[in-house]
Amino acid sequence: MRELTGSFFILAGAIFLFSAGFGLLRMPDAYTRIQAGTKATTLGNVLVLAGVAIDQPHWAPRLALVIGFVLLSNPVSSHALSRAAWLAHTPMTPATVIDALADEKRRDAADGRT
Amino acid sequence: MTTGLPISTVFFATGLALALIGLCAILTHRNVLRIVIGFTVVDTGLNIAIVATGYVRGGTAPIIDAGLSRANAVTHAVDPVPSALVVTAIVIGLSVTAMMLAFAIRLFAAKKTLSIDALTDSKW
Amino acid sequence: MMRRLSVALIALLLALVFWRLVAGYSEQQTLRPLAVWYVTHAPLDFGVPNVVTGILIAWRGFDTLGEVAVLFMVAASVSMLAGVARGTPAAASGSPGEIVQVGAQVLLPLIVTFGAYVIVNGHLSAGGGFQGGAIVASGTMLARPHAALDVDAFGVAESVAGVLYVLAGVLGIVLAGGFLDPRFLPRGQFGAFFSAGAIPLISTLLGIKVGAELSVVIDRFRLADVARKPAPPSP
Repeated sequence: MRELTGSFFILAGAIFLFSAGFGLLRMPDAYTRIQAGTKATTLGNVLVLAGVAIDQPHWAPRLALVIGFVLLSNPVSSHALSRAAWLAHTPMTPATVIDALADEKRRDAADGRT
Repeated sequence: MTTGLPISTVFFATGLALALIGLCAILTHRNVLRIVIGFTVVDTGLNIAIVATGYVRGGTAPIIDAGLSRANAVTHAVDPVPSALVVTAIVIGLSVTAMMLAFAIRLFAAKKTLSIDALTDSKW
Repeated sequence: MMRRLSVALIALLLALVFWRLVAGYSEQQTLRPLAVWYVTHAPLDFGVPNVVTGILIAWRGFDTLGEVAVLFMVAASVSMLAGVARGTPAAASGSPGEIVQVGAQVLLPLIVTFGAYVIVNGHLSAGGGFQGGAIVASGTMLARPHAALDVDAFGVAESVAGVLYVLAGVLGIVLAGGFLDPRFLPRGQFGAFFSAGAIPLISTLLGIKVGAELSVVIDRFRLADVARKPAPPSP
């Protein structure tokens, strides 16, 4: 029973990881690809590790620590990547209507760098 | 609960399939960075395939500690030689990728484009 | 059209070769004779529990020396090819933003601690110099824009670690069986932290060298001079 639950979690994680790869193919520009890749792979990682923790309970504290580290480091690295892409003037798809970072930089320049 | 194929055959086939996919990527794409990613996928696939050939049925990692005593090591350990070869291979793959990326930077500085069609002037 | 057809043909032929490989492969039931020799003689000759580290550092130590040389050559070639623009200050790229700075402050001690643990425990459990060095290099890549780490110091550390590695090999000739023989330090108790001869020392030197080297390579990519014109061809 426990093995079945753990295997179900691992299967769900594998489906999310596959959808991350699929999203990398289908998304129109760099920013949407980074978003699809990071969110889906982080969730897929967490589900696979949770499935292994359910299947082998004596590993559960260590795997909880690993899940914490994954949740800590994945968003930071994807933020650094997309910010670097914005600073390098990577083109956005025409469907994007709001550029929050450009608006903020414009506001900062208008306020005199405050 | 064993069904069908042994696990090392699945890993071996997956590694060789990755190598095939990477080779198709190298031959098909025109962007230099995607060709470099294709080379990385070929490296990864072949590393998986080599490690998979070292698996012994019911074996565990070749580290002698609380889980594997010296007497059990001969019957319950996995082959350590492919793992040692693959550690070296991973580092060499990283070095080759770094060199290819440096060449991609030079290509962009010279031709202002990342398409490999810009280098066709030396083709006969 | 012709290119697509030839690519499909090549893929098909290679898939045929791979299919024959997979069909002819059968899972091993027992270890091969060479593996049996390695697994029994690693704790016997060197007192090292991790057989893979024993193979990499002790029996095939010369291959590891060649790999160290390849890494050094790659660092030098990438520095020459990517080319640092003259007069570029160290913090030439834009500010990394608050999220990355705070994240780096939290994550960098964890990453460096974990990398050091993997390096020095190479002979006791899974790990070793190369693996730990790669982890430390990923940490410095995270911290580089905000901590302004000194890349020249990394270059010096890499060279010093490489020279010390060769000196350890020469010590093996003088005090033990041959070049890169790790038995010139005492074997110690099996499974203790200071044991297995000079294998922990060599593992640490490898880790420092690989970590410094990968940090230098990554930093060279960050400062790469994309606008430099190539030298005109000589007539």
